[in-house]
Amino acid sequence: MLKYFIGTAGWSYKDWVPSFYPKQQTSKFDWLQFYSHYFNCVEVNSTYYAYLSPKIVEGWVKKVADSDEFIFHVKIHQDFTHKRKFDEQSIKAVRYNLDILGNAERLGGLLIQFPYSFPYNNSATQYIQELKDIFPNYKSFVEVRHSSWQNEKAFEFFKENDLTFCTIDQPQIGQAIPFKPIITNDRAYIRFHGRNVEAWKKSINSFGKEQSYDERSERYKYLYSPGELVEIEQKIKSIQSKVKELYVIMNNHPQGDAVANAFELIHLLEEKDKVEMPGTIIKAYPRLEELLVN
Amino acid sequence: MRTIFHLDLDAFFVSVERILDPSLKGKPVIVGGDPKYGRGVVAACSYEARVYGLHSAMPIRTAYKLCPHGIYIHGSHGEYSRFSKAVKNILLQYAPIVQQASIDEFYMDFTGCRNVYGSLFAFASFLQKEIWERLSLPCSIGIGSNKTIAKIGSDCMKPNGITYILSGMEKEFLAPMPVEAIPGVGKVTLQDFHSKGIYRIGDITKLPQDYFAAAYGKYGIDIYRKACGEGNEYLIVDNYEQKSISHERTFADVTSKQFLKEKLFKLTGKVCQELRDMDWLASNVHIKLRYSDFNTLTRSRMIKPTDDDKAVFDVAWNMLVKALTRRVAVRLIGVGLSKFSKFSEQQELFEWEEIKRRRMLRAVTKIRDKFGYESLMFGSVDHDKRSLTMVNPFRVKT
Repeated sequence: MLKYFIGTAGWSYKDWVPSFYPKQQTSKFDWLQFYSHYFNCVEVNSTYYAYLSPKIVEGWVKKVADSDEFIFHVKIHQDFTHKRKFDEQSIKAVRYNLDILGNAERLGGLLIQFPYSFPYNNSATQYIQELKDIFPNYKSFVEVRHSSWQNEKAFEFFKENDLTFCTIDQPQIGQAIPFKPIITNDRAYIRFHGRNVEAWKKSINSFGKEQSYDERSERYKYLYSPGELVEIEQKIKSIQSKVKELYVIMNNHPQGDAVANAFELIHLLEEKDKVEMPGTIIKAYPRLEELLVN
Repeated sequence: MRTIFHLDLDAFFVSVERILDPSLKGKPVIVGGDPKYGRGVVAACSYEARVYGLHSAMPIRTAYKLCPHGIYIHGSHGEYSRFSKAVKNILLQYAPIVQQASIDEFYMDFTGCRNVYGSLFAFASFLQKEIWERLSLPCSIGIGSNKTIAKIGSDCMKPNGITYILSGMEKEFLAPMPVEAIPGVGKVTLQDFHSKGIYRIGDITKLPQDYFAAAYGKYGIDIYRKACGEGNEYLIVDNYEQKSISHERTFADVTSKQFLKEKLFKLTGKVCQELRDMDWLASNVHIKLRYSDFNTLTRSRMIKPTDDDKAVFDVAWNMLVKALTRRVAVRLIGVGLSKFSKFSEQQELFEWEEIKRRRMLRAVTKIRDKFGYESLMFGSVDHDKRSLTMVNPFRVKT
């Protein structure tokens, strides 16, 4: 039986107030707790920028206690994917936090996202294999963005190593990989980065520079239109019989677009007529009202 | 005997706009431009707007006079084609053959499917429900023994209707309908029919077929056959999403070459705009020419892939001049593009002048998408003073 997990990349965004999180918040109000009431998974991105203290991770587990099925996907630190320079200490740190989630039965898997500048070749596959050996016991989702990975040999490599080939939707520039689900094991992991071509081009030029939150997230500012979502729905449904678990992560986070689109995809993919949503999101995105449970 | 379905999405553009903005529900909505700027026409209007006498292809200005409180929007064409494709994908799950006739019309051949789907009427209503539940789009379905009758059927119970014309009942079904219900009878033909006292389809079938053949040639025979409930039984399918983009205009007989040139210029502008909207390049240009005696000819030529109005117009005009050999008035001209390829931004392949022109054309496309097709027009420089109407008032002097 296929299980859908639909959520967003991160939950802690100030600009989700008031489009998702209400403006009036009591001191006890917790964003993750609120988020986990509506969604059954989230992708953690802060782990890409820092090695988090285990206390923080233990805190998450407590906050989602009310949501039985809720899981976290953890994005691996950039030392492993972008800088590709790490030591025993960093491996331990990653493992420790993963195991906290794993022992609490809250771990989805490990997201290993490589940059566009990581094309397919022998040393690349060797490197991925190395990572798989370091983190053997976790479900691994590997995201590559260069279109040179779109070949049978690469898919074979993924299959042999039980790695999930992430499907991504991103602005179509240069040799960017197009949206096309590829199945390499019994899971599918689909990430949506928006289709903001202009801002994406701009960000390519400023890679590596110090950037503010607004600058960094501008390229993800994109609200998928109903027509685009229907198109996506039909493409995803065409692969659903081939997998057991299907993860959909919306990364077009600025201002809450990701949340709105995630609700719409719950409606479309899980074939729910009505979806439980907070009033805040309806106010920010009136077109969602149709899906609201009364 | 064949079983053909014709599925027509009800007020399609408006239905999509209502998905994008649910506050438009229950209101008179007109897609096709802003009456303040545009001299365009109504591309689609909601049933609430039709109450005021609005219909598609009506000039926006006229529409505005009839329904000033309507909501006028330009429309989101990319979104329409996405939904159209989604509908087609659903139909392909059930129908053995699907022919997409336009963005909002589909023919399906269900011949021999009765054992699979049971009652065709019930099955049509299932399809309707499926499209409504999956995409929130209403549609009407006509079922008949050929394409023409199915199309007329889907048209007569809009919106959300299903019409099943039993085989053998076609002629009786059509007789009381106005002649303009026949696909292919346009404004010009209609006037002609009215002047001869033909108002209802039954009026046509009362006449001998020879009369029609003598008066209207091949076209007349075609109309006569349609009036009797006959029509094409086979669907045209191929793998391309869209085979060609074309536009044509019918006139009350014209002899002036200058007039034809201006019309061709305008038609070319329209097809190129559509081409750029799809982000395509075309490498085949074709023209259509119909004389007043309904003799029709077509010409086509391969060109270097382009989306440039000027390149297309030059080729099209050249072909038209060569084709215009008879001293008979012209009734219709058309221009079309086919053999598409995707527009790509690999600009290094082009000369600098070409790049500049491309950028200009893309900018024109953007402005038109925002303010309507007629917000920005190309001027043709011509020594003939009569063509001054073509001069673009917005053109900046350099």
